[in-house]
Amino acid sequence: MKKQLLSMNVNDETIEVAVEASASLLEVLRDELGYIGVKEGCSEGACGACTVLMDGRPVRSCLTLALEAEGSSITTIEGLASGGQLHPIQQAFVDRGAVQCGFCTPGMILSAKALLDHNPNPSDEEIKDALAGNFCRCTGYAKILDAVCSLRPASSSKPGR
Amino acid sequence: MDREEYSFIGRSIPRVDARSKVTGEASYTADLKLPRMLVGKILRSPYPHAKIINIDTSKACALRGVHAVVTGKDTAGEKWGVFRYTRDQQLLCVDKVRYVGDEVAAVAAVDEDTALEALRLIQVEYEELPAVFDCRSAIAPDAPLIHDDYQRNINVAVKIDVGDVDSAFKNSALVREDTFVAEEDSYFMTEPYAVVANSGSDGSIEVWMPNASPHTKAKALSNALKLPLSKVNVRKITIGGAFGGRSDVFPAEFITCLLSIKSQRPVKVIYTREENSIATRMGHAMITTIKTGVDKDGVVLGRDIVSWLDGGAYSSTGPIATSVPFLCHEQTYRMDNVRFHGYRICTNKPVRGMIRIHGRSFACGIDTQLDMIAQELGIDPVTIRLKNARRAGETTPTGSYVSSCGLIECVEKSAEATNFLAKFKNASPERGIGMGMNSVQTGFPLGIRGGSQAFIKFHEDGGATVISGVVDNGQGNDNMLVQIAAEELGLPPDDIRLISADTEVTPTDAGSYSMISTFGGGNAVKSAAADAKAQLFEVASELLEADPEDLIAKNRKIFVRGAPDAGISIARVVRKALILGRPIMGKGSFSPQVDQRREWISNPKGQLSQAFSFGATVAEVEVDTETGQVKALEVTCAQDCGFALNPIVVEGQFEGGVAMGGQGGMLGEEHRWHNGHVLNPSMLEYKIPIIKDMPEIKPIIVETIDPAGPYGAKEAGMSVAMSAAQAYCNAVGSALGIYFNHYPLTPERILDAIENKKTGIVTAWEFEPATKIEVETSPKGSK
Ligand code: FES
Ligand code: FES
Repeated sequence: MKKQLLSMNVNDETIEVAVEASASLLEVLRDELGYIGVKEGCSEGACGACTVLMDGRPVRSCLTLALEAEGSSITTIEGLASGGQLHPIQQAFVDRGAVQCGFCTPGMILSAKALLDHNPNPSDEEIKDALAGNFCRCTGYAKILDAVCSLRPASSSKPGR
Repeated sequence: MDREEYSFIGRSIPRVDARSKVTGEASYTADLKLPRMLVGKILRSPYPHAKIINIDTSKACALRGVHAVVTGKDTAGEKWGVFRYTRDQQLLCVDKVRYVGDEVAAVAAVDEDTALEALRLIQVEYEELPAVFDCRSAIAPDAPLIHDDYQRNINVAVKIDVGDVDSAFKNSALVREDTFVAEEDSYFMTEPYAVVANSGSDGSIEVWMPNASPHTKAKALSNALKLPLSKVNVRKITIGGAFGGRSDVFPAEFITCLLSIKSQRPVKVIYTREENSIATRMGHAMITTIKTGVDKDGVVLGRDIVSWLDGGAYSSTGPIATSVPFLCHEQTYRMDNVRFHGYRICTNKPVRGMIRIHGRSFACGIDTQLDMIAQELGIDPVTIRLKNARRAGETTPTGSYVSSCGLIECVEKSAEATNFLAKFKNASPERGIGMGMNSVQTGFPLGIRGGSQAFIKFHEDGGATVISGVVDNGQGNDNMLVQIAAEELGLPPDDIRLISADTEVTPTDAGSYSMISTFGGGNAVKSAAADAKAQLFEVASELLEADPEDLIAKNRKIFVRGAPDAGISIARVVRKALILGRPIMGKGSFSPQVDQRREWISNPKGQLSQAFSFGATVAEVEVDTETGQVKALEVTCAQDCGFALNPIVVEGQFEGGVAMGGQGGMLGEEHRWHNGHVLNPSMLEYKIPIIKDMPEIKPIIVETIDPAGPYGAKEAGMSVAMSAAQAYCNAVGSALGIYFNHYPLTPERILDAIENKKTGIVTAWEFEPATKIEVETSPKGSK
């Protein structure tokens, strides 16, 4: 099949890559570019493990055609920590015990980031809405909710708001 | 030692593996990339039951880009089974397929498209056979036989008979018999199954896959591939959840190895989500009939239980799966007279294994019926449980001594925290409340001999490397091992590296099924660390001119008790030991004290497991009587985990258990079927709980300090998962005044029960009971 040139920005790096028109963004990120933090859990848009940010919005990379990313900025989990310093959301997930098997974690953190970036003080319900498309089979979500709540301003850093 | 004196144990410290998981570095099987790696794909049976007449692979072999094609011919009919007497699953079907999804052939090709095209080119000629899809039709006298040697398709028959049940019933003030039915549920771990195999020119093979016991996998592969065990190297890899669904050996591992050996290239097989559902394992469907006799105070005098488990096409962990629901129950409840007949019945459906809430119909049946008995006698659910709950120092009917048990405390604390009795009295659809209680083992013997061993070596800067065969499925075993070693050696967890679950390097370990890892592997690492510490103290005592008995290791130092400032660094002691030619090399092992003569079928008596955990969960729910929807409001779970090595990790296990056992397991998770085809194998159709479904969860950690557990620890969270299912069930029941006996409680079932509500203390539906079956030749258990 003929390949087309795709140029996009991934984690602050400009990338040009030849892709097949039918390739998903997930395939290109994982298989071509080596961003293995983009997880494939279902390939049908159900689990959210493949979530990446496209221009700040969470998208399911398994359902997104790679060519749709032309000219956009993609953030994968690999793009969050900088200079050996974890992003505050990553740190909160570590500190609050929100990580068990870790397979859902990259998608979950990116969904949380998309929320907190435009709403730094979300209610519990808003957090749950934002994470409703990310399945976790291990944690029962309690510590994940804890972790995200802990990033709200100090007065409301516990669930229950 | 007092809790306050511990540096790391008993504290909520972040897991050692968390960092690599939040950065995306952690590598799972599907993430592996090796040079020249091929893509493997498996051809599966489209029929539930058929003879294989012929397989023609010539076109597939001729396709450009195809490097290997394998069929049953390449395997000499090699079979797998957990026990010698249950070896009934051909690793590639030779003569017959037994479920939709059975492995028939496989290919390895340069890319996925080519591999799929090659599968399409394989021509298989089948002769369809009549099939059976449920227990009752499978045991019918004229039913087609799925395996020639399983009479009436009975794969396993377990019989336990203790005391005199019939007399107990005669002496009872009240005897009830009820039947409980549960459908199949599934694991849906977020990581789909995958295998990578890499054969070497020296005849060795390395294999990566999510697994619950690398050493068990290596043993099975070594047998099947006829390679020495030392040449089958199952490697460490991050694993995306197991919940019982990675314990067994699957044909795919063997097939991927065959493809790699044949092509002399690395091969990767990644299961689709659908394959993960049908071709790994799923939970059993089950019918359980429970007859219970009590005295006028509600004390259980005798029980007679018959269970039929729909086992699917092959044995898998059959004898264990058939027994465990009963064993959990006999650990939880006291009774002198009890009889159990368990039958695992083969059907033409996917293979069933043990799942986190294995035996829903059994456990929920026991607790539902107990609530019915309490109602008849005018006793409340808490009192009747307290009267019958297991206590420490007792022995179970089949002969397991219970050395530590905090069940009473779990019941009391969860009842008190929820104000259970008042709420139960005023239960309404707006707020129903229910309690469940359960117990699980901390390991039982299976396949791997000799428990767990560990080594510890030191680096010249005072850091250490721990080497253990324990595998981490996501529950935190890696962290548990490091935390224990850190405590014992007086080193911060950061100074400790862990090499684990790599069969080339690590000593054997039973695996992380049956909740054994902390008790077995944790104890082994603790003893290896104690051994290393004794060697360190030996050298340090000369430097400090002190008795080794008086020394303490803490904060990277060794010092005389009470004089931490006069200590010397562990690094210095390590170097001194090297100079003296006495390098520090710790080794340790732990074998649980269980009765080795105990066997699942032929001799189900004696000490099953050295310790048992216990839990009680209370669920509070609201039921919409118009739609049948249940909203869980609050769940309180108490568990006696022995000792919480890392409370935040323990809580996480509780919370995950509530989600999978109660929320998903009781309110919605089930497979639907059409003629042996699973209608909902995908994540879109099989509904696992999402964050919006979850209630607030209140964990209560109960500690009984088990005499043999590492620091008193047993296992974390499993009895919560089980008791959560029971609690949810009884909560919905109390909300509606209905005793549910068909699980899970989907809105359709709830509406049906409301519409056809019966009067009196009866179950919502009447099912034909599971009955004793006379069989002559069920497989005999043997050592
Ligand atoms: S892999 Fe994309 S949503 Fe599951
Ligand atoms: S941590 Fe395992 S799926 Fe979320």
